[in-house]
Amino acid sequence: MGLTDGESGDHLSLAEVDALGQAEAREGGLLGFGSPTFLTTKVDFVVNWARRNSLWPMPFGTACCAIEMMASAASNFDLARFGMERMAFSPRQADVLICAGRVPYKLAPVLRRIWDQMMQPKWCVSMGACASSGGVFDVYSMVQGIDTIIPVDVYIPGCPPRPEGLIYGLMMIQEKIRGESLSDHYGLRAEDPALVGRPRAGTEEVEALAGPFGNSTQQERLSSLAQTTRPERSEDLLP
Amino acid sequence: MVDESGSAFDAVEQGPKASGDPTGTPRDSDGDPSGHPTVTALQSWFGSTVLHHEVQAGDQHVVFVDAARNREVLKWLRDDPEQRYDLLADVTAVDYGGGKPIQIVYQLWSVGHKRALRVKCELPLDGLTIDSVVQLWSTANWLEREVYDLFGVEFTGHPDLRRILMPQNYAEGHPLRKDFPLRGRFSRAEQTRRALSQDYHDDYTPESLEVGGAPGLAPPEPNRSTETAEDKP
Repeated sequence: MGLTDGESGDHLSLAEVDALGQAEAREGGLLGFGSPTFLTTKVDFVVNWARRNSLWPMPFGTACCAIEMMASAASNFDLARFGMERMAFSPRQADVLICAGRVPYKLAPVLRRIWDQMMQPKWCVSMGACASSGGVFDVYSMVQGIDTIIPVDVYIPGCPPRPEGLIYGLMMIQEKIRGESLSDHYGLRAEDPALVGRPRAGTEEVEALAGPFGNSTQQERLSSLAQTTRPERSEDLLP
Repeated sequence: MVDESGSAFDAVEQGPKASGDPTGTPRDSDGDPSGHPTVTALQSWFGSTVLHHEVQAGDQHVVFVDAARNREVLKWLRDDPEQRYDLLADVTAVDYGGGKPIQIVYQLWSVGHKRALRVKCELPLDGLTIDSVVQLWSTANWLEREVYDLFGVEFTGHPDLRRILMPQNYAEGHPLRKDFPLRGRFSRAEQTRRALSQDYHDDYTPESLEVGGAPGLAPPEPNRSTETAEDKP
């Protein structure tokens, strides 16, 4: 998975892909990297419509949040209404990783590997307080937010969130897909193959994200004051 | 919780200390041994090896035994026809902090006599070594691995003494000890880096890797199992 140079077979870095795209845009290429054309907008519309209405979740349920996730898929809340027809228990056939529950460090490489195995395009939902921040488990064994391991699109607060919360989060993913464009390869979430199996966040960001906060026994820092390099979250477009 | 005499976190800041005072561990006063036939038999059979006896929670008889002779006493408890403690319900450990000795707890149950007994052995922090009882009860295998993993107690004679809950490349010590800081010893970034560099060969014995024959799982290198040796504090 990843963009390869046809001649040498070497992986291209994102900067090189960007340079290629700009060169193609100057030459008026078909896809028009960086400059939407009539064709790409119409293709975008169809592709995004298909993608957002056939999201297959990959459930990564480790704790009580998974019970709420199962409730969301059951008939009362009926996740299938939104196109999440099939819980794909195989990462290759899934579009959305729903990490529901606390993730210990021993499980971190498993989560990272499942994310690496999922095909593009893919999205990630961090469900519940533990997956998003470590929750009350500010201890030696627990990952302090899965965004230190993998990129996350939507964080759902709650302990655990109700099924309405999960459905709302997945609808936010749908809104995010609606705004994507084939001409924007960052929006298509191009991956750097050299980062497979590595922590997503850098050292400083992990420290900032994992800093002790309110419910901790040692309140040295406030995580709300931490500066991170994470790009801005997608706006909540739902009314 | 914090009073004038010091908080519960003092032991964390002070770090591990060797214990020269075996009476530092909280103990109840001697219980009445006549309520439990095994206790009187133990005292007459082993004499001074039985250090102390107390009754907890109404009817739970606890016997403190010399740690050097734990296997001998437990083998007698298992094999003597009057005792027959054939079920080892649990092996665990307790650390009271402050440099007090760590207690190894054997929870026994006799199916035939319908009788329970708790045997404790105290180990000073600078001598955390005790005989394994895997040869007596096979179920002690994983239980003793857990005690080794979380408390750092060495069980001599254990066939496969490796970590069982924490990752095999865990190098921060033994987390259930009172001197262990709550968030571990490394920074979060270092913990994340180490977690993602785990090698799953280490979670299996070489035999099970051969039996499983999973594709892509080559037999581990011979020196791989020695990595855990540096974990000991």
